[in-house]
Amino acid sequence: MAVVKEFTKGFWDVLPPFRLVLGLCPVLAVTTSAENGAGMGLATTFVLVCSNVLVSLLRKIIPSKVRIAAYIVIIASFVVMVELLMQAYSYPLYQALGIFIPLIVVNCIILGRAEAFAGKNGVAASAADGLGIGLGFTISLFVLGGIREIIGNGTFLGLHVLGTGYEPFTFMVRAPGAFVSLGVMLALINWISARLEARKRRNAS
Amino acid sequence: MKDILKMVVVLTLICAVSGLTLAAVYDVTKGPIEYARLKNVKEPAVKAVLSGYDNDPIKDRVQIPIGTDKKGKPVNLVVFPAKKGGKTFAVAFEGAGSGYGGNIGVMVGFNLADNNISGISIVGHSETPGLGARITETQFTDSFKGKSLAKELTTDDINALSGATLSSKGSVAAVNQARGLLEKYRDKIVQGG
Repeated sequence: MAVVKEFTKGFWDVLPPFRLVLGLCPVLAVTTSAENGAGMGLATTFVLVCSNVLVSLLRKIIPSKVRIAAYIVIIASFVVMVELLMQAYSYPLYQALGIFIPLIVVNCIILGRAEAFAGKNGVAASAADGLGIGLGFTISLFVLGGIREIIGNGTFLGLHVLGTGYEPFTFMVRAPGAFVSLGVMLALINWISARLEARKRRNAS
Repeated sequence: MKDILKMVVVLTLICAVSGLTLAAVYDVTKGPIEYARLKNVKEPAVKAVLSGYDNDPIKDRVQIPIGTDKKGKPVNLVVFPAKKGGKTFAVAFEGAGSGYGGNIGVMVGFNLADNNISGISIVGHSETPGLGARITETQFTDSFKGKSLAKELTTDDINALSGATLSSKGSVAAVNQARGLLEKYRDKIVQGG
């Protein structure tokens, strides 16, 4: 049961970009299309799960004074691995994501989970935590990228969905559009969770 | 003291293991990465200059040593062969010539049987937009098609661009350089493919 809970919390309770408000740099930069968002999210998920498992396995061996250094080495190794593999087997995606792949190393979500969770919990729970948070991150990026792609380019996953007559609102695929759509999403999610919260309180009383 | 020793040992071990793992991954992905790069960067140019082949010119590429650079490292000419039924009938590779704004890189396709140019494609240049940069347009590149390789090309042979003499000359020089390489290494190029 505990493992399931660690997995599902990543989809709502600690949904990375919107609830933790962590890792915003890639969130803003790569979500120009749904595909880029999903690619970045999956790459991050892979690194997150691997590093969580390894950190959790080694948590009793790594002396606490050098734990951050050890975490960084582990995370950086997985990131380089992802970079090489992506270059070899998915070159166009690698070109689209560019500098943001190496930057996964400094994505606070990953180091944050290693420090806050994997360093204190068992392997199964850590893997579930990484997978849940990673997939939550992926879905968030995918949705955000999808919204920006549809409005800003008239396409979704490269397919024209709004018809040929649609004049793309290119503001949305530029940097300011990223901030605006992130803000709207944040507001929406806060509103929904406030409503849920209120209902729970009403039921309790 | 014991603490420090433990720290050093653990950190060293972690670094060593990750170093080894990365080296292994690098080894495995080296080939596919080179292929993916060429496929995405060079294939459009190769497709533009060769036609009627049934192989994958990127996969069948051959490297021909053509000397060494200033540091003594060997320089390879990467030749993309076009084959039909396993027989090479045309090849494509790059030549370079200096234009107005810098080097012009040109992918040149050669028909081996007819000894002529099957097509050219500009792969890299820094010419003036609107003037020299027109060398990438088809009305310029198409004028190289079918030119014989019996002698060096001059700008009279092709549809040179008015107002962009140096860019036109640079492109012709690049094609001539590729022609020279073909002449010099013809046996190797044909055999290798």
